[in-house]
Amino acid sequence: MTDDPKIGAGKHAGATAGDLGETKREFDMDAVVGYILLIGVLISLVLVVSALIWRWIDTRALSFDYKLTGMNLFQLVLDEVRLAAHGMLRPRLLLSLGIAMLMLTPYIRVLASMVYFMAALKNWKYSVFTAIVLLTLTYSLFLR
Amino acid sequence: MPHVSFELLFPVSIVAGFVGAMAGMGGGVVIIPVLTLLGVDIKHAIAISILSVIATSSGSASAYIRDHITNLKVGMFLEMFTIAGALTGARITLAVSPRPLYIIFGLVLLASWLALLFGSHKLAHTGPQDKFTHWLELEGSYPDRVLGQTVHYKARRAYFGAPLMYLAGIIAGLLGIGAGAVKVLIHDLIMGLPPKVSTTTSNMIIGVTALAGASVYLVAGLIDPGLAAPVILGIAIGAFAGTRLLVRMSNQAVRRFFLFILLILAVEMMVRGIRGGL
Repeated sequence: MTDDPKIGAGKHAGATAGDLGETKREFDMDAVVGYILLIGVLISLVLVVSALIWRWIDTRALSFDYKLTGMNLFQLVLDEVRLAAHGMLRPRLLLSLGIAMLMLTPYIRVLASMVYFMAALKNWKYSVFTAIVLLTLTYSLFLR
Repeated sequence: MPHVSFELLFPVSIVAGFVGAMAGMGGGVVIIPVLTLLGVDIKHAIAISILSVIATSSGSASAYIRDHITNLKVGMFLEMFTIAGALTGARITLAVSPRPLYIIFGLVLLASWLALLFGSHKLAHTGPQDKFTHWLELEGSYPDRVLGQTVHYKARRAYFGAPLMYLAGIIAGLLGIGAGAVKVLIHDLIMGLPPKVSTTTSNMIIGVTALAGASVYLVAGLIDPGLAAPVILGIAIGAFAGTRLLVRMSNQAVRRFFLFILLILAVEMMVRGIRGGL
Protein backbone atom coordinates (compact mmCIF):
# COMPACT_ATOMS: atom_id res chain seq x y z
CA MET A 1 0.00 0.00 0.00
CA THR A 2 1.35 3.39 -0.90
CA ASP A 3 0.60 6.63 0.85
CA ASP A 4 1.97 10.09 0.36
CA PRO A 5 4.86 10.23 2.83
CA LYS A 6 4.26 13.92 3.38
CA ILE A 7 0.90 13.16 4.87
CA GLY A 8 2.60 11.28 7.71
CA ALA A 9 1.56 8.35 9.87
CA GLY A 10 -1.42 10.09 11.40
CA LYS A 11 -3.47 10.48 8.26
CA HIS A 12 -3.36 7.43 6.01
CA ALA A 13 -5.33 8.20 2.90
CA GLY A 14 -6.59 4.66 2.49
CA ALA A 15 -7.14 3.83 6.15
CA THR A 16 -10.52 2.82 7.51
CA ALA A 17 -12.27 5.02 10.04
CA GLY A 18 -11.23 2.76 12.93
CA ASP A 19 -7.63 2.72 11.78
CA LEU A 20 -7.62 6.42 11.45
CA GLY A 21 -8.76 6.97 15.01
CA GLU A 22 -6.12 4.68 16.42
CA THR A 23 -3.26 6.02 14.34
CA LYS A 24 -4.22 9.56 15.22
CA ARG A 25 -4.01 8.79 18.89
CA GLU A 26 -0.75 6.92 18.30
CA PHE A 27 0.57 10.02 16.60
CA ASP A 28 0.07 12.03 19.77
CA MET A 29 1.43 9.28 21.99
CA ASP A 30 4.60 8.91 19.94
CA ALA A 31 5.29 12.59 20.50
CA VAL A 32 4.59 12.37 24.25
CA VAL A 33 6.77 9.29 24.72
CA GLY A 34 9.54 10.79 22.57
CA TYR A 35 9.57 14.05 24.49
CA ILE A 36 9.50 12.31 27.87
CA LEU A 37 12.70 10.51 26.94
CA LEU A 38 14.36 13.60 25.49
CA ILE A 39 13.45 15.94 28.35
CA GLY A 40 14.34 13.35 31.01
CA VAL A 41 17.82 12.79 29.60
CA LEU A 42 18.40 16.53 29.11
CA ILE A 43 17.37 17.36 32.70
CA SER A 44 19.65 14.61 33.93
CA LEU A 45 22.63 15.87 31.90
CA VAL A 46 21.99 19.48 33.02
CA LEU A 47 21.97 18.33 36.66
CA VAL A 48 25.28 16.49 36.22
CA VAL A 49 26.89 19.49 34.49
CA SER A 50 25.57 21.85 37.20
CA ALA A 51 27.00 19.56 39.88
CA LEU A 52 30.40 19.68 38.19
CA ILE A 53 30.35 23.47 37.78
CA TRP A 54 29.31 23.95 41.42
CA ARG A 55 32.04 21.54 42.53
CA TRP A 56 34.59 23.42 40.45
CA ILE A 57 33.60 26.78 41.93
CA ASP A 58 33.76 25.32 45.45
CA THR A 59 36.96 23.33 45.30
CA ARG A 60 38.67 23.98 41.93
CA ALA A 61 38.43 20.25 41.36
CA LEU A 62 36.00 18.12 39.39
CA SER A 63 36.20 14.91 41.36
CA PHE A 64 33.52 13.47 43.58
CA ASP A 65 34.38 10.77 46.02
CA TYR A 66 31.34 9.46 47.76
CA LYS A 67 29.82 6.05 47.60
CA LEU A 68 26.24 4.99 47.15
CA THR A 69 26.21 1.90 49.28
CA GLY A 70 23.26 -0.40 49.59
CA MET A 71 20.75 2.26 48.57
CA ASN A 72 17.98 1.84 46.07
CA LEU A 73 16.86 4.75 43.93
CA PHE A 74 14.14 5.97 46.28
CA GLN A 75 16.38 5.84 49.35
CA LEU A 76 18.99 7.76 47.40
CA VAL A 77 16.56 10.52 46.41
CA LEU A 78 15.01 10.66 49.91
CA ASP A 79 18.44 10.91 51.53
CA GLU A 80 19.56 13.77 49.33
CA VAL A 81 16.26 15.65 49.61
CA ARG A 82 16.32 15.30 53.40
CA LEU A 83 19.83 16.75 53.53
CA ALA A 84 18.76 19.56 51.21
CA ALA A 85 15.77 20.31 53.45
CA HIS A 86 18.18 20.73 56.35
CA GLY A 87 19.96 23.41 54.39
CA MET A 88 22.82 21.14 53.36
CA LEU A 89 22.88 22.07 49.70
CA ARG A 90 25.89 20.43 48.12
CA PRO A 91 27.07 19.70 44.59
CA ARG A 92 26.64 15.99 45.25
CA LEU A 93 22.92 16.58 45.70
CA LEU A 94 22.73 17.64 42.06
CA LEU A 95 24.86 14.71 40.90
CA SER A 96 22.75 12.17 42.78
CA LEU A 97 19.58 13.78 41.44
CA GLY A 98 21.06 13.65 37.93
CA ILE A 99 21.65 9.91 38.27
CA ALA A 100 18.17 9.44 39.75
CA MET A 101 16.57 11.46 36.95
CA LEU A 102 18.39 9.35 34.36
CA MET A 103 17.07 6.15 35.93
CA LEU A 104 13.55 7.53 36.26
CA THR A 105 13.33 8.59 32.60
CA PRO A 106 12.56 5.14 31.10
CA TYR A 107 10.34 4.43 34.12
CA ILE A 108 8.20 7.51 33.45
CA ARG A 109 8.04 6.51 29.79
CA VAL A 110 6.55 3.13 30.74
CA LEU A 111 4.13 4.82 33.15
CA ALA A 112 2.93 7.15 30.39
CA SER A 113 2.52 4.19 28.01
CA MET A 114 0.33 2.42 30.55
CA VAL A 115 -1.95 5.43 30.94
CA TYR A 116 -2.16 5.57 27.16
CA PHE A 117 -3.03 1.90 26.67
CA MET A 118 -5.59 2.01 29.50
CA ALA A 119 -7.25 5.37 29.14
CA ALA A 120 -6.86 6.32 25.47
CA LEU A 121 -6.84 3.01 23.61
CA LYS A 122 -8.70 0.93 26.24
CA ASN A 123 -6.50 -1.91 25.07
CA TRP A 124 -6.59 -4.25 28.06
CA LYS A 125 -4.13 -6.73 26.61
CA TYR A 126 -1.44 -4.07 26.39
CA SER A 127 -2.51 -2.45 29.65
CA VAL A 128 -1.68 -5.78 31.32
CA PHE A 129 1.66 -6.14 29.48
CA THR A 130 2.66 -2.59 30.40
CA ALA A 131 1.57 -3.15 33.99
CA ILE A 132 3.84 -6.22 34.16
CA VAL A 133 6.77 -4.14 32.86
CA LEU A 134 5.97 -1.36 35.32
CA LEU A 135 5.66 -3.75 38.28
CA THR A 136 8.95 -5.47 37.43
CA LEU A 137 10.70 -2.10 37.15
CA THR A 138 9.14 -0.89 40.41
CA TYR A 139 10.33 -4.07 42.09
CA SER A 140 13.85 -3.49 40.75
CA LEU A 141 13.85 0.12 41.95
CA PHE A 142 12.84 -0.99 45.45
CA LEU A 143 15.43 -3.78 45.65
CA ARG A 144 17.35 -3.92 48.90
CA MET B 1 40.66 0.61 42.95
CA PRO B 2 42.86 3.40 41.54
CA HIS B 3 41.44 6.87 41.27
CA VAL B 4 40.86 7.92 37.67
CA SER B 5 40.76 11.69 37.28
CA PHE B 6 37.92 13.56 35.62
CA GLU B 7 40.41 15.21 33.28
CA LEU B 8 41.33 11.79 31.87
CA LEU B 9 37.98 10.05 32.03
CA PHE B 10 35.91 12.78 30.37
CA PRO B 11 37.82 12.93 27.04
CA VAL B 12 38.24 9.15 27.04
CA SER B 13 34.46 8.75 27.40
CA ILE B 14 33.80 11.19 24.55
CA VAL B 15 36.06 9.08 22.32
CA ALA B 16 34.37 5.85 23.51
CA GLY B 17 30.90 7.23 22.74
CA PHE B 18 32.10 8.44 19.36
CA VAL B 19 33.81 5.18 18.37
CA GLY B 20 30.79 3.15 19.54
CA ALA B 21 28.38 5.26 17.50
CA MET B 22 30.58 5.26 14.39
CA ALA B 23 30.84 1.49 14.52
CA GLY B 24 27.07 1.21 14.85
CA MET B 25 27.11 0.03 18.46
CA GLY B 26 26.66 1.76 21.78
CA GLY B 27 29.35 3.37 23.92
CA GLY B 28 29.26 0.56 26.48
CA VAL B 29 31.23 -1.89 24.35
CA VAL B 30 34.09 0.60 24.19
CA ILE B 31 34.05 2.20 27.64
CA ILE B 32 34.09 -1.08 29.59
CA PRO B 33 37.39 -2.37 28.13
CA VAL B 34 38.88 1.12 28.40
CA LEU B 35 37.86 1.56 32.05
CA THR B 36 39.34 -1.82 32.93
CA LEU B 37 42.59 -0.84 31.17
CA LEU B 38 42.64 2.27 33.38
CA GLY B 39 42.51 0.01 36.40
CA VAL B 40 38.78 0.14 37.20
CA ASP B 41 37.38 -3.17 38.41
CA ILE B 42 35.22 -4.76 35.66
CA LYS B 43 32.06 -4.90 37.79
CA HIS B 44 32.26 -1.16 38.54
CA ALA B 45 32.92 -0.55 34.83
CA ILE B 46 29.81 -2.59 33.90
CA ALA B 47 27.68 -0.68 36.42
CA ILE B 48 28.79 2.74 35.13
CA SER B 49 28.39 1.66 31.52
CA ILE B 50 24.81 0.49 31.98
CA LEU B 51 23.91 3.94 33.37
CA SER B 52 25.38 5.63 30.30
CA VAL B 53 23.41 3.18 28.13
CA ILE B 54 20.16 4.63 29.56
CA ALA B 55 21.27 8.12 28.47
CA THR B 56 22.37 7.26 24.93
CA SER B 57 19.51 4.89 24.11
CA SER B 58 16.80 7.19 25.49
CA GLY B 59 18.32 10.15 23.68
CA SER B 60 18.35 8.47 20.29
CA ALA B 61 15.09 6.54 20.82
CA SER B 62 13.35 9.87 21.38
CA ALA B 63 13.82 11.06 17.80
CA TYR B 64 12.85 7.71 16.25
CA ILE B 65 9.66 7.46 18.30
CA ARG B 66 8.64 10.97 17.30
CA ASP B 67 9.27 10.00 13.66
CA HIS B 68 6.72 7.14 14.08
CA ILE B 69 9.20 4.44 13.14
CA THR B 70 9.36 2.71 16.53
CA ASN B 71 6.62 0.15 17.23
CA LEU B 72 5.45 0.75 20.83
CA LYS B 73 3.54 -2.55 21.03
CA VAL B 74 6.46 -4.67 19.85
CA GLY B 75 8.62 -2.76 22.34
CA MET B 76 6.22 -3.15 25.24
CA PHE B 77 5.68 -6.87 24.66
CA LEU B 78 9.38 -7.68 24.36
CA GLU B 79 10.38 -5.46 27.30
CA MET B 80 8.62 -7.87 29.65
CA PHE B 81 11.25 -10.42 28.69
CA THR B 82 14.36 -8.24 28.40
CA ILE B 83 13.80 -6.68 31.84
CA ALA B 84 13.50 -10.08 33.50
CA GLY B 85 16.66 -11.09 31.65
CA ALA B 86 18.56 -7.99 32.77
CA LEU B 87 17.69 -8.65 36.43
CA THR B 88 18.98 -12.22 36.03
CA GLY B 89 22.10 -11.09 34.17
CA ALA B 90 23.07 -8.41 36.70
CA ARG B 91 22.69 -10.87 39.56
CA ILE B 92 24.96 -13.33 37.76
CA THR B 93 27.59 -10.60 37.40
CA LEU B 94 27.43 -9.90 41.15
CA ALA B 95 27.94 -13.59 41.87
CA VAL B 96 30.75 -14.59 39.51
CA SER B 97 34.47 -13.83 39.52
CA PRO B 98 35.83 -11.26 37.02
CA ARG B 99 37.61 -13.68 34.65
CA PRO B 100 34.57 -15.27 33.00
CA LEU B 101 33.10 -11.76 32.58
CA TYR B 102 36.11 -10.74 30.48
CA ILE B 103 35.79 -13.84 28.32
CA ILE B 104 32.01 -13.53 27.84
CA PHE B 105 32.41 -9.83 27.09
CA GLY B 106 34.99 -10.61 24.42
CA LEU B 107 32.83 -13.33 22.89
CA VAL B 108 29.67 -11.18 22.78
CA LEU B 109 31.61 -8.28 21.31
CA LEU B 110 33.09 -10.59 18.68
CA ALA B 111 29.66 -12.02 17.81
CA SER B 112 28.14 -8.53 17.54
CA TRP B 113 31.10 -7.51 15.42
CA LEU B 114 30.49 -10.39 13.01
CA ALA B 115 26.78 -9.57 12.89
CA LEU B 116 27.53 -5.94 12.06
CA LEU B 117 30.15 -6.78 9.46
CA PHE B 118 28.31 -9.50 7.60
CA GLY B 119 24.72 -8.73 8.55
CA SER B 120 22.58 -8.18 5.51
CA HIS B 121 19.52 -6.04 5.89
CA LYS B 122 17.10 -8.10 3.87
CA LEU B 123 13.55 -6.95 3.45
CA ALA B 124 11.09 -8.31 5.96
CA HIS B 125 9.51 -11.65 5.14
CA THR B 126 6.04 -11.46 3.77
CA GLY B 127 4.76 -14.87 4.82
CA PRO B 128 1.55 -15.32 6.80
CA GLN B 129 1.41 -14.10 10.37
CA ASP B 130 0.94 -16.81 13.01
CA LYS B 131 -2.09 -16.70 15.33
CA PHE B 132 -0.18 -15.80 18.49
CA THR B 133 1.62 -12.84 16.93
CA HIS B 134 -1.67 -11.74 15.38
CA TRP B 135 -3.32 -11.93 18.80
CA LEU B 136 -0.50 -9.74 20.12
CA GLU B 137 -1.33 -7.12 17.45
CA LEU B 138 2.32 -6.94 16.43
CA GLU B 139 2.06 -5.09 13.16
CA GLY B 140 2.17 -1.54 11.97
CA SER B 141 3.32 0.93 9.39
CA TYR B 142 5.89 3.68 9.16
CA PRO B 143 6.67 6.47 6.73
CA ASP B 144 9.84 5.54 4.82
CA ARG B 145 11.48 8.73 3.55
CA VAL B 146 13.90 6.91 1.25
CA LEU B 147 11.26 4.78 -0.45
CA GLY B 148 8.85 7.71 -0.38
CA GLN B 149 5.96 5.61 0.87
CA THR B 150 4.38 4.18 3.99
CA VAL B 151 5.61 0.65 4.65
CA HIS B 152 3.11 -1.76 6.21
CA TYR B 153 4.42 -4.84 7.99
CA LYS B 154 3.33 -7.74 10.18
CA ALA B 155 5.67 -9.31 12.71
CA ARG B 156 5.84 -13.08 13.08
CA ARG B 157 7.00 -15.78 15.51
CA ALA B 158 6.67 -13.73 18.71
CA TYR B 159 6.58 -17.04 20.63
CA PHE B 160 10.18 -17.61 19.56
CA GLY B 161 11.33 -13.98 19.72
CA ALA B 162 10.20 -13.54 23.34
CA PRO B 163 12.40 -16.19 25.01
CA LEU B 164 15.33 -15.08 22.85
CA MET B 165 14.79 -11.52 24.06
CA TYR B 166 15.04 -12.83 27.62
CA LEU B 167 18.51 -14.11 26.68
CA ALA B 168 19.37 -10.74 25.10
CA GLY B 169 18.30 -9.12 28.39
CA ILE B 170 20.63 -11.44 30.32
CA ILE B 171 23.54 -10.35 28.11
CA ALA B 172 22.65 -6.66 28.59
CA GLY B 173 22.38 -6.96 32.37
CA LEU B 174 25.40 -9.24 32.68
CA LEU B 175 27.78 -7.06 30.68
CA GLY B 176 26.31 -3.59 31.13
CA ILE B 177 25.83 -3.02 27.42
CA GLY B 178 22.77 -2.32 25.28
CA ALA B 179 23.25 -5.60 23.36
CA GLY B 180 21.52 -3.82 20.47
CA ALA B 181 23.14 -6.03 17.83
CA VAL B 182 21.63 -9.13 19.46
CA LYS B 183 18.19 -7.54 19.76
CA VAL B 184 18.21 -6.34 16.15
CA LEU B 185 19.17 -9.83 14.96
CA ILE B 186 16.18 -11.32 16.80
CA HIS B 187 13.82 -8.65 15.41
CA ASP B 188 15.14 -9.07 11.86
CA LEU B 189 15.66 -12.79 11.51
CA ILE B 190 13.11 -14.31 13.87
CA MET B 191 10.28 -11.78 13.92
CA GLY B 192 10.66 -10.44 10.40
CA LEU B 193 10.48 -6.76 11.30
CA PRO B 194 11.70 -4.23 8.71
CA PRO B 195 15.30 -3.14 9.52
CA LYS B 196 14.33 0.43 10.46
CA VAL B 197 11.60 -0.71 12.81
CA SER B 198 13.83 -3.33 14.38
CA THR B 199 16.75 -0.93 15.03
CA THR B 200 14.61 1.84 16.46
CA THR B 201 12.39 -0.42 18.55
CA SER B 202 15.48 -2.14 19.92
CA ASN B 203 16.78 1.29 20.90
CA MET B 204 13.69 1.95 23.00
CA ILE B 205 13.86 -1.48 24.63
CA ILE B 206 17.53 -0.95 25.54
CA GLY B 207 16.67 1.98 27.86
CA VAL B 208 14.29 0.13 30.20
CA THR B 209 16.41 -3.02 30.07
CA ALA B 210 19.43 -1.00 31.19
CA LEU B 211 17.35 0.53 33.98
CA ALA B 212 16.54 -2.89 35.41
CA GLY B 213 20.23 -3.84 35.38
CA ALA B 214 21.31 -0.46 36.79
CA SER B 215 18.93 -0.86 39.77
CA VAL B 216 20.65 -4.09 40.75
CA TYR B 217 24.10 -2.47 40.49
CA LEU B 218 22.97 0.61 42.43
CA VAL B 219 21.80 -1.44 45.42
CA ALA B 220 25.01 -3.49 45.24
CA GLY B 221 26.94 -0.23 45.70
CA LEU B 222 28.76 -0.58 42.38
CA ILE B 223 27.69 2.78 40.94
CA ASP B 224 30.42 5.26 41.80
CA PRO B 225 29.03 8.78 41.20
CA GLY B 226 32.55 10.19 40.76
CA LEU B 227 33.14 7.83 37.84
CA ALA B 228 29.59 8.09 36.55
CA ALA B 229 29.61 11.88 36.02
CA PRO B 230 32.38 12.10 33.40
CA VAL B 231 31.40 8.82 31.72
CA ILE B 232 27.70 9.65 31.27
CA LEU B 233 28.47 13.15 30.00
CA GLY B 234 31.35 12.08 27.78
CA ILE B 235 29.55 9.15 26.17
CA ALA B 236 26.42 11.24 25.57
CA ILE B 237 28.48 13.92 23.81
CA GLY B 238 30.57 11.41 21.83
CA ALA B 239 27.58 9.31 20.76
CA PHE B 240 25.63 12.41 19.72
CA ALA B 241 28.52 13.61 17.55
CA GLY B 242 29.15 10.12 16.14
CA THR B 243 25.51 9.53 15.22
CA ARG B 244 25.26 12.92 13.51
CA LEU B 245 28.40 12.21 11.50
CA LEU B 246 27.38 8.64 10.65
CA VAL B 247 24.12 9.61 8.92
CA ARG B 248 26.00 12.01 6.64
CA MET B 249 28.75 9.58 5.83
CA SER B 250 28.60 7.20 2.92
CA ASN B 251 32.18 5.96 3.11
CA GLN B 252 32.22 2.33 4.26
CA ALA B 253 36.00 2.39 4.81
CA VAL B 254 35.68 4.72 7.79
CA ARG B 255 33.06 2.50 9.37
CA ARG B 256 35.25 -0.55 8.84
CA PHE B 257 38.08 1.24 10.61
CA PHE B 258 35.89 1.74 13.69
CA LEU B 259 34.69 -1.85 13.48
CA PHE B 260 38.34 -2.89 13.46
CA ILE B 261 38.86 -1.06 16.77
CA LEU B 262 35.99 -3.09 18.24
CA LEU B 263 37.61 -6.31 17.01
CA ILE B 264 40.86 -5.41 18.80
CA LEU B 265 38.92 -4.67 22.01
CA ALA B 266 37.08 -8.01 21.76
CA VAL B 267 40.27 -10.01 21.32
CA GLU B 268 42.06 -8.04 24.03
CA MET B 269 39.28 -8.69 26.56
CA MET B 270 39.27 -12.40 25.80
CA VAL B 271 43.06 -12.65 26.11
CA ARG B 272 42.99 -10.88 29.48
CA GLY B 273 40.20 -13.17 30.67
CA ILE B 274 42.03 -16.32 29.60
CA ARG B 275 45.45 -15.27 30.92
CA GLY B 276 44.07 -14.03 34.22
CA GLY B 277 46.06 -11.78 36.58
CA LEU B 278 43.64 -8.91 35.95
